[in-house]
Amino acid sequence: MSRIEIVGLTQQFKDHRAVDNIDLTIEDGDFVVLLGPSGCGKTTLLRMIAGLLDPTSGQILIDGQDVTHLPAKKRNLAMVFQSYALYPHLSVEKNLAFPLNVLKVSKEEKRERVLGAARALGLESLLHRKPRELSGGQRQRVAVGRALVREPSAYLMDEPLSNLDAKLRTNTRQELSELHDRLSATFVYVTHDQVEAMTMATKIVILNGGRIEQIGTPEQVYDAPASIFVAGFVGSPPMNLLEGSLSTRDGHVQATALGSTSRLWPGTCPEHKVTIGFRAEHLRLEEAETGAVRIDGVIHQIENLGGEQVAYIKVGDHTVVAKCGREVTLERGERFTAGVRAANVHLFDQATGRRMEWVEEPAPALADAL
Amino acid sequence: MSFTITPVPGQERYERIAREGEAAVRRWRKPPIAPYLFILPAIALLVFWIYRPLIETFQLSFYHWNLLPTAPKQPAGLSNYTALFHDRELGKAVINTILYIAAFLVCSVILPLVIALMSRRVSGRARTIYQALVFVPFLVTPVATSAVWRWLFDPYDGVIVVVLRKGFGIDIGSVFRSDHGALIAIIIIVGWQMLGFGVLVMTAGMAGISPDYAEAASVDGASNSTILRRITVPLLSPTILFLALMTILLSAQWTYPMIDVLTQGGPDNATTNIYYLLYEIAFNNFDAGMAGAAGTVFFLVFGAIAVLLVKLSDKLAFYDN
Ligand SMILES: Nc1ncnc2c1ncn2[C@@H]1O[C@H](COP(=O)(O)OP(=O)(O)O)[C@@H](O)[C@H]1O
Ligand SMILES: [Mg+2]
Repeated sequence: MSRIEIVGLTQQFKDHRAVDNIDLTIEDGDFVVLLGPSGCGKTTLLRMIAGLLDPTSGQILIDGQDVTHLPAKKRNLAMVFQSYALYPHLSVEKNLAFPLNVLKVSKEEKRERVLGAARALGLESLLHRKPRELSGGQRQRVAVGRALVREPSAYLMDEPLSNLDAKLRTNTRQELSELHDRLSATFVYVTHDQVEAMTMATKIVILNGGRIEQIGTPEQVYDAPASIFVAGFVGSPPMNLLEGSLSTRDGHVQATALGSTSRLWPGTCPEHKVTIGFRAEHLRLEEAETGAVRIDGVIHQIENLGGEQVAYIKVGDHTVVAKCGREVTLERGERFTAGVRAANVHLFDQATGRRMEWVEEPAPALADAL
Repeated sequence: MSFTITPVPGQERYERIAREGEAAVRRWRKPPIAPYLFILPAIALLVFWIYRPLIETFQLSFYHWNLLPTAPKQPAGLSNYTALFHDRELGKAVINTILYIAAFLVCSVILPLVIALMSRRVSGRARTIYQALVFVPFLVTPVATSAVWRWLFDPYDGVIVVVLRKGFGIDIGSVFRSDHGALIAIIIIVGWQMLGFGVLVMTAGMAGISPDYAEAASVDGASNSTILRRITVPLLSPTILFLALMTILLSAQWTYPMIDVLTQGGPDNATTNIYYLLYEIAFNNFDAGMAGAAGTVFFLVFGAIAVLLVKLSDKLAFYDN
């Protein structure tokens, strides 16, 4: 099992830089999820790791060995394709055995490993079927099984659940997590689905336009998004983001947004343009008077999600999203006042889009910059 | 207090819809006529130009007739068939036809496979140009092709003859006058034309195979030759079989114009094939009955081969989805 290091990796297609100077270390046993919107370069990055695509520049090291120019067949990785890529002319059994045939494993061992993988994934009764005779979920299992029969350095998966229906996806998510725990192997998993990322990852890498926006645990990514992009991408509904500014008054830092000013915390800071962010579930009715950020608007629309409800509040020209329990009675067209505690307010520098962190003793360099 | 069971909403209405649906099915049983009208012209042409002559050929094979409209047709029983099987030239024509087919299988299946595989390594514009160059000969009409090659093989100043004589000291002389020379020359000419067709079909077949399979295999550790043997060629087998079928069924036809223009089957039947023989029986010997018998026999043999190959290709076919 292996550690994968990526140094300055870049992929330049004709006039498009799909992956832009990425540095990333994937520790042994990590379940790393590459998360980002479609077209952000996830597949390209994964294909470079797999050896299916030659990087324009940069390096890939597996366990310290430079594999940048090693062909795919010599990297000892296993990959599950988004299309599953099951060989259509071979039965499930032969599909599972294919990597072992290539490795010239003995007949008994091959049988044992194929049956082992089939048993682990509930494929025993399907061994003689051809891929076209399988449902989407069964195909997905065979694709995973084909990766499991070997003992690769790492498992690479490109959106393996995107062709499954919602229920099967939930089950398979849990199974993949269990698989990761059992094998304690390194997984690199590509998805555009934040739920998959949040539920399975030990480490999420958020990509945007070929660059890394943030690397962190699911908690870090959700609780402290490193940029406006991450804040808007992770979470459902996405974080409320309002343009505003910071200033100081009476020894307190205060934020102005949507025409109202609110006190954040004691301290001083120069005038600064910021984006103020807060999550829908942190907009609380009981903080209407006390919150650091306060909202006073009209309910425009209500979505009932079963367990909870999402309200869209019109404040001037802006829409703010709030999430609360079903026990609260909301009515369209009614006035809605709520607030967010200072601890739940996120501030982002408007110029760079990056997160701003309040530290009690500002470093001189940072103070100068602001 | 007691429980009530929540009824399934609107079930009664569903039943009514289902009952109406049944009636609708009954009403639809009467097939609409429009689709048949659309294919009627094609069917009419097929019947008039293919099936009618086929039946007439079969009928003719039981008569003696010299093709003169005024001459009467004499009933002949099976004598045309016995005469055909005793014809000395039939054996030669069949052997040549098999030789042609074997050679063309190389030109239209094996070489195109190799060329299509190699052209994958060429990329961009160069590949298009390269494939176009291979395909162009197929677009030249057979008679024009024959004329150009006859000129290239001219015993006195043909380019090929002169280059071989001056460059390599080999004198091939008058190619179309020597038995083997003429046969080989016709194979080269027709093969050169068929190569383009084969490459085109093979390239299309390869383009239909998702590159994911080869990539998955290479991540699984397979070498290029393993991928070719275990993945690419098996997935191409429907295409390969289709080309083989076309070659076997059509090579006698494709060769016919070259034989007619270049050698007239000679020297001494060295280049004849079954269709050229058929033509000679009918229009040189004016023996419509025997030509009908030959036509019937060739039709049955090729028909049997076609059925066999189509069955085989059904078995090999896979559905990529
Ligand atoms: N072979 C290629 N040639 C040119 N552009 C490509 C190629 N492959 C991908 N791209 C472009 O690179 C970008 C990233 O693609 P990809 O890695 O597939 O995105 P993702 O998997 O994140 O959806 C896309 O804009 C895509 O159009
Ligand atoms: Mg992708």
